[in-house]
Formats: sequence, C-alpha cells, structure tokens
Amino acid sequence: MSRYELTYIIDTTLEETARKELIEKVSALIAANGGEVEKVDETWGKRRLAYAIDHKNEGYYVLVTMNAPGEAISELERNLRINDSILRYLTVKLVEKQSKVKPKPVRQAPAEAAPAAETAPEAPAEAEPAGETAPEAPAQAE
Amino acid sequence: MSEEREERRPRPRGGRRPRRKVCSFCVDKIAYIDYKDVNRLRRFINERGKILPCRMTGNCAKHQRQLSEAIKRARAIALLPYTAE
Repeated sequence: MSRYELTYIIDTTLEETARKELIEKVSALIAANGGEVEKVDETWGKRRLAYAIDHKNEGYYVLVTMNAPGEAISELERNLRINDSILRYLTVKLVEKQSKVKPKPVRQAPAEAAPAAETAPEAPAEAEPAGETAPEAPAQAE
Repeated sequence: MSEEREERRPRPRGGRRPRRKVCSFCVDKIAYIDYKDVNRLRRFINERGKILPCRMTGNCAKHQRQLSEAIKRARAIALLPYTAE
C-alpha cells in the first residue's frame, strides 16, 4: 500500500447530481480494489482549462488522496479511461519528501550546549562534598 | 606569435559581472515541487509555455529536475498549457 494522489477532470456539462454520483463511483471503485480513500477535495471545482480538451474550455477538478495497492491503480485508470465524462486524470505516487530533509542544527543550539556541557562534568565532581548546593558555590569557596 | 594571439583573446576583466542567481526553491526550502502549485510554476515558463532553462532562472540542478517534472504533470492535467501563442 502506498499513498497516491489522483486528480481528474469531469465534464462541466454533467449536472450536479450526476457529477456527485460519479465522484461517489470513483471513490467506491478505489475501495472495491482494496484501497482506502483518504480525502476527496473539490476546492478547485469548476476551473478554466489551460487548453481545450474535446473543444471544452472548462472542467470540474476533483482531487483524491488515497492509500491503495499498486495493482488497484491500473484497474482504476482503466475505468477512468472508459468514462466519457472524465476528460483527464493523473495519478501521482506521493513521496514523503519531507522525511528526507535532514534536521539542520539550529544556530543557537551550540552556544547553549557548550555551557551546559561545561557545568555537567563539574557538578558531579564538586557535588560530593557540597551535596545539593549550586555548582558555583563550592568553586567560590576554593 | 602564439603568445600574442593568447593576449588578444577577449577576457572577462573589469566589466560588469551579472549578479549571481540563487535557486528560489532552495531559498524557500521547498523539498517537493507540487504540480498543483500553478502560480509558482507559471514563473518558470515563458509566454509560449516553454520551460525556462536554469541558466535564466538560477535554479539548482536538483530543483530544475523536479520543476520540469512538475510542469509536465501540470500540463497533462490542463493546469498549464503545452503551447500558447
């Protein structure tokens, strides 16, 4: 199972009820193939196409994020290709690039770590006679 | 003879050096260039819809590769044009 992102464009001539049915159908299809729909995003909705597809200048964009096995994708794409109301689709495997980013040390960290490291070895050595007192106090006494 | 010729060859000296360009993706610390981020991608295509070379935009090789992939995906789903007059 990997995460995929599917974007597809529905013909705007399709009425709203039929469009909702189609979106449901696609989600059901993913589930039927052993995938699980994470999110269906319609924030783009009706959008101007950058170029005409089948002489249409507008399309209804739907974004689906899902977890699915690889074999489900080919079956899903086959079904999307059959449907005439779907102008285009694009499936992209999501790669968690964020996890690859190495954590960079914060510039302030070494400045703070240095005094902390100095005090740490001193504390146990002088803690023997002084006990609970602050590490600075025995240093002044000597 | 040969030494003279060496001397005559035009050299970049004195003149105005073009400002060093930096990769805008590195500056913004973007690990993954999203094909849905049309406004950002639009800055890296010319008015004909062609992908601008990194020597014009100053992108680093790593991000230029990611960028071209993202632009091609955006084209496939009609977010960006393949060609535009």
